[in-house]
Amino acid sequence: MYSGINISQTDARPMYLQIMEQIRARIAAGDWPAGKELPSIRALAAALNVSVITIKRAYLDLENEGVIVTRHGKGSFVADVNGLAGELQEERLAEHLTRAAEIGQSLGLTLEDLEERLRRARKNLDPK
Amino acid sequence: MDNKHIEMRGVRKSYRFFTLDDLSLDLEPGQIMGFVGPNGAGKSTTIRLAMGLIAADAGEVRLLGHLLPENQAIAKRDVGFVSDEMRLFAHATVGWHMNFIASIYPGWDAKYAATLIKRFNLKPEQPVKGLSHGEHVKALLMLSLARRPRVLILDEPTSGLDPVARHELLTEFMDVLRDDSRSILFSSHNTVDVERISDRIVFIDRGRIVDSRDKEDFLERWRRIQLQLAPGAILPELPNIVGRVVDGQFVTLTTNHFSNDLLARLGPTVREVHRMSLEEIFVASVFHHREVAGQ
Amino acid sequence: MNKLTSKLIAREFHQHRWLMAGTIAVGIVSLFVAGSGTPMLFNIGMLCWLTAIAAYGCVVAMLGIATERKERALLFVLSLPLSFGEYVRLKLFGLLLCFLVPWLTLTAGALVLVLVKADMPDGLMPFTILLCGFLLANFSFVLCSALFAKSEGFITLVIIVHNIAISLFIFLVGAIPGFFDHLKDPAPTWGTAFWTVLAIEAASLVVICSLPYFVVARRRDVI
Repeated sequence: MYSGINISQTDARPMYLQIMEQIRARIAAGDWPAGKELPSIRALAAALNVSVITIKRAYLDLENEGVIVTRHGKGSFVADVNGLAGELQEERLAEHLTRAAEIGQSLGLTLEDLEERLRRARKNLDPK
Repeated sequence: MDNKHIEMRGVRKSYRFFTLDDLSLDLEPGQIMGFVGPNGAGKSTTIRLAMGLIAADAGEVRLLGHLLPENQAIAKRDVGFVSDEMRLFAHATVGWHMNFIASIYPGWDAKYAATLIKRFNLKPEQPVKGLSHGEHVKALLMLSLARRPRVLILDEPTSGLDPVARHELLTEFMDVLRDDSRSILFSSHNTVDVERISDRIVFIDRGRIVDSRDKEDFLERWRRIQLQLAPGAILPELPNIVGRVVDGQFVTLTTNHFSNDLLARLGPTVREVHRMSLEEIFVASVFHHREVAGQ
Repeated sequence: MNKLTSKLIAREFHQHRWLMAGTIAVGIVSLFVAGSGTPMLFNIGMLCWLTAIAAYGCVVAMLGIATERKERALLFVLSLPLSFGEYVRLKLFGLLLCFLVPWLTLTAGALVLVLVKADMPDGLMPFTILLCGFLLANFSFVLCSALFAKSEGFITLVIIVHNIAISLFIFLVGAIPGFFDHLKDPAPTWGTAFWTVLAIEAASLVVICSLPYFVVARRRDVI
């Protein structure tokens, strides 16, 4: 399973750094594609014979680097290359749509009007 | 919130030539706690207090919420205890003990027991009398692990085990922790194993707890810093320096609270900064503690 | 008594089964020797019968308690879900039972011998019963001392006292005025002397066996 990840105790680098490096390598190589779910902290700890707290540390630091994304209650996932950016985009879209709805309402547009405007805007993006 | 599995507050135990004093210790569910100390430091005493086998002179001991030693019978239903001094009944076989334990504890997992027997290279027909020390400990651990207790309290579980057996054992321990409602307290001289699998580490020396924190905390705080001072220069007074070795211009400092601030204050004299292994941290910690206590 | 304690008592039997069987065998053979006719063989036989019971008691008390403690099986038992008080009680009860099996058998055997053998006067019966009762009380003394003791030296001393006590008992009972005279009667005499000694034995047994409950079982430091 995850036995490919190897932690050496004779390596001068701390264990959590070694784990982070090996995970990053697999992501970079494409073995762990964007969106793939990472093993749970406890499962990886048991697979590597390393304490839970070390895995926690590694996952936390990887998330701070933007390499992985942790959804509370759901697990950790490999982030897109644009992954973190993708999330931000999602947020921006939601903001824009809310704003568009507000402006539309203040202009007195119906939902159908709004949809028509969106369709036109989308069409303008597609290259001929 | 989950209750702590082991709770010791201000525990004191006096013997003629040894006193365990002001001992406070907490084992949380989902945690492995490594208990490290020199011989005679009080590890076994602490563990026996945690099992209710001896009564504290002062302070409080709770195991799975039950006050000890009065309520040990109930508490022990969900606790597995193995000590390297412990022995099985000499007149029976390994298999007899498996049946015995299976008939007492409802949590016995026969399939898991069979797996462990194979992994630990034991045979049910084997009479206990013929077991080597290592086989004996493995059999005891198998009997405890196979009933899946909520807490495992282990006194030197890997002593006398060959490297293969140790590896098998550590794998089983980590497997226990897949369930975050279970926990392990183990005492060991083997700082390599402790460093690897412990979440929390407690150092004990001469009856007192010297230090107790998360493993990563220890590893981050302690450093050896090698300096080369300019000729005639003196080292400034610095906080959190617990060790100092001077060899002419070359100084090796040991700090128990490394920070970039400290590095900045040392400036260009710093040649190298090394992390320390748990063993080095332990020894430095104990010597520092003894020094402070002696003053 | 719960499942765990009954299993541990059953284990006690399992551990001592060969010892029990061996003692019974030696005892029965001794009784046959004692009944084979000549006074010398009677003496030898009765001595062997007596020694078998007394020695078995000491050995089983030692094995059951001191050796278990020394061999660290005690730590294993204490890891089980029971209190030290329960441990003391089950040891007391279990080892008493282990003693009672050969003791009852060989007591019955001795009484049968006295009744059946023509050349053995039935006047011996009261004495035989008192002797057997004494052996039981004497065993309980060794057992309870072993439960109390923390060193092997103490138990060794207790066993020496136990051995001396047997000879002392025989001597003292024989010296009871009038008792000795009735030994050779064809019919047993159940006099006040008999009932008094029997009562003392029973009382001693109860008192000795209750001591572990009040002293040892209440210990807070078990190791």
